[in-house]
Amino acid sequence: MQGYVRAGSSQPAWLFPFIILVVLILSVLPLARLAAAGIAALANGGVSAVLADPALWSATYYTIVTAMLGTVISLVIGCAFAFVLALTDIRGKGQLSFLFVLPMMIPPQVTALAWVQMSGPSSPLLKALQIAPPLGSPQPLYSVGGIALLYGVQHAPLVYLALRAGLMALPGEGVEAARLSGASSFRVFHDIVLPMSLPGVIAGAALSFVSCTGNFGIPAILGIPSSIYTLPTLIFSKFSAFTSRTFGEVALLSAIIAIISVTGLAIQNRALRGRDYRLLGFSGARATFQLGGWKYLFAPLLWLILFFMLAAPFFALLAGALVPAYGVPLTFKTISLNAFHEILFHQAVTRTAFVNSLSLAAGTATCLVLVTVLAAYALTRRRDAISRAVSSLIEIPYSLPGIVIGVCFILVFASPLPVLNVTLYGTIWIILIAYLSSFFAVSLKPLVSAFHQLDPALEEAARLSGAGFLRRLRDIIVPLIAPAAGASVIVVFLIACNELTISALLWSAGTQTLGVAIYNLDDSGSSDLASALSVLIVLMVIALMLLLELMAKRLPKGVVPWRS
Amino acid sequence: MKKLSIFTALLAAGLVSVSAEAANLVLYTSQPNEDAQATVDSFMAANPDVNVDWVRDGTPKIMAKLQAEIEAGNPVADVLLIADTVTLERLKDAGKLLAYRSPEAANYDANLYDADGYYYSTKLITTGIMYNTSASMKPASWEDLAKPEAKGLVAMPSPLTSGAALIHAQTLAAVDGLGWDYFKALAANGATAAGGNGAVLKSVASGEKAYGMVVDYMPIREKAKGAPVEFVFPQEGVSAVTEPVGILASTDNAEAAKKFVDYVLSEKGQEGFLKLGYIPARNGMKLPEGFPARDSIKVLPIKADEALKNTDQDLKTFSGIYGSN
Repeated sequence: MQGYVRAGSSQPAWLFPFIILVVLILSVLPLARLAAAGIAALANGGVSAVLADPALWSATYYTIVTAMLGTVISLVIGCAFAFVLALTDIRGKGQLSFLFVLPMMIPPQVTALAWVQMSGPSSPLLKALQIAPPLGSPQPLYSVGGIALLYGVQHAPLVYLALRAGLMALPGEGVEAARLSGASSFRVFHDIVLPMSLPGVIAGAALSFVSCTGNFGIPAILGIPSSIYTLPTLIFSKFSAFTSRTFGEVALLSAIIAIISVTGLAIQNRALRGRDYRLLGFSGARATFQLGGWKYLFAPLLWLILFFMLAAPFFALLAGALVPAYGVPLTFKTISLNAFHEILFHQAVTRTAFVNSLSLAAGTATCLVLVTVLAAYALTRRRDAISRAVSSLIEIPYSLPGIVIGVCFILVFASPLPVLNVTLYGTIWIILIAYLSSFFAVSLKPLVSAFHQLDPALEEAARLSGAGFLRRLRDIIVPLIAPAAGASVIVVFLIACNELTISALLWSAGTQTLGVAIYNLDDSGSSDLASALSVLIVLMVIALMLLLELMAKRLPKGVVPWRS
Repeated sequence: MKKLSIFTALLAAGLVSVSAEAANLVLYTSQPNEDAQATVDSFMAANPDVNVDWVRDGTPKIMAKLQAEIEAGNPVADVLLIADTVTLERLKDAGKLLAYRSPEAANYDANLYDADGYYYSTKLITTGIMYNTSASMKPASWEDLAKPEAKGLVAMPSPLTSGAALIHAQTLAAVDGLGWDYFKALAANGATAAGGNGAVLKSVASGEKAYGMVVDYMPIREKAKGAPVEFVFPQEGVSAVTEPVGILASTDNAEAAKKFVDYVLSEKGQEGFLKLGYIPARNGMKLPEGFPARDSIKVLPIKADEALKNTDQDLKTFSGIYGSN
């Protein structure tokens, strides 16, 4: 068995060390650098001061509470859409699926702004309906519930995509067999579909929870006005008051977030244990439930949810972009295209940000999927302490708020690289590397769940017939996991396109991203410009998705995640 | 599979084609985007040989960015145009600034620039009170914001986000009869402190709040555009920052940086600020529309050296009152 890691494993010897090397560069090195900075900063005392700070504990509490509630909401919405769209004969599946994935592209801070505009005293929507609350009414979204609600809305598509990937691979045979034996739809769903889709649900829940703990855009806009700080916003405010102790304090706060996330993931691993269903994948031969009369309940309900997730915030944004000044009611008299004019023809930052964000997103998604296909293969085939440790190391950067990752990479790449003598700091490359680190876990998730459902027998048979690793990869593994890989690319692309917190710290002159541009415009009081730019982004994203939709016929099946 | 890899290769190629344009001059500023863009555009029109890249953020955040860069040994900025002289004084003490004696200084009061030429004030930005026109009370003094009529209706910028807000808090804290007790009274009255001046403008203009402490030019400019807001200079007086410009000692483009300093101090540059709705710092300039006569605006004094010394303590005090850290 020379050349193999160990007997019984069919991996080439270079594979696992290669994955470990990548993880060392992307996860361990930056975190170690931050830890070193933290320890150095705290060497002269200060741990007790940080730990005794009541703000820390209240932020920890709010982080956990909002993330849990948000996860529950995203699960409810995401699962409802995934089950109905993947398993029933509801009408307009294509449109529903397309639209449901769309909210993910709206950057979280824009979602929050749009919802605030939708529901506050100046809401053009409520004003038009004559039900706007009076001056000085408290904004209901400035609360734990508000933050959790928007977490749910923001992350529901993540759950949907994670679960859908699993449901796509669900073979129809089991369901057929049960049907022929006379089981009712409910019985089939409860006894066959639900248990088989649980790994997807749990994976989606973990992804959502981790995203919630690291989210910055939503608590920044909804929490800060009512003094509800989560750990990411607390860290951000620590940076705004930069002192010699900041790195130390931030290192400690980051450690707490890491503990919360790792705990969440440990619970996920416990839940997934013993739920390893190896299915022989006839991807696409899926079960279908006849909705019958239920469609009169489901269809309007799904469209209504979509209206609130998508249409209403979008129109609130559009209204915000078309008013001449903030607080002016929108009528045919007051309507003005000034904001669009300024954004399109005056602000140099617009073009820069579009080019930067699109290139970064494409580069991140492409580089990652090449690595994560191999990583998911290696990690699912090896089930030992080392591979579990590597999985956790991959998760940590994603579970940390972007601001922390930003700091880590500043520390790592601030001084010129040894040997090459190039400084990455202040260039677009440092943002790219930080993105690779941060979204590794996102890219890996759908692939891991795909490999979990892949029957190893196929590959073993090929190996016994003498097929080499690359041959097996090309002929068996890649075709079977193509849908998950496609989902992985798209999800990373979309998330990276709207990323704000990492780039908030790493951007420099000329490397602004769209997230930075929007946040900055809004922050400087030009919310009309921020809204106008957001509208352009949403339109661009719709255009991109339509482009993919048109290309779908030419791409391997399942690459476009919202299509059956 | 082949088609997919061609597709991803194209995407990857798109990434490589992003060229980092080498800018001659990098400006870090806390001006709102439109104003920063207008300033840079007019400078570049006057100096076609210089190309400016600019970055905008609240003063404390810009400083955090700069500090992280300095810590990294690679400061990107050449020129700073940020809220207050206290911050630049701190940089000067740390030896981070370049001294430059601009010929334009002759047209400025001596107390508006550093005697050694480390920084120059460019405009006067006061912080007063704005209110939504549908508010029940017309505030005339700082004290009015602590009245029951304003309960839960007051917003102010956070000193953690805005340089002007920090100076404002430090200025009022030193006024007899106001002091930190005034800020405590406001907090007890349900006032919130978050974000920068832009956030205050938004929440008052949108009616989420009725009253706000805010920099003068924002509401005055928005009112001209039709927003339902008014601005008052409270009777106790207003705090002021002067948005100084300074050159970083680490710059590789000292010549271009000096041109920029000269330009923003020149009559043409100052007129540009005037057009944007700021009170120019240069002698003999008019005031923008919507402002009362300059001598009727009472500016409260601030001791820069004390403000500098107490910054950390004051931020702590403020955070302690408003529960933000």
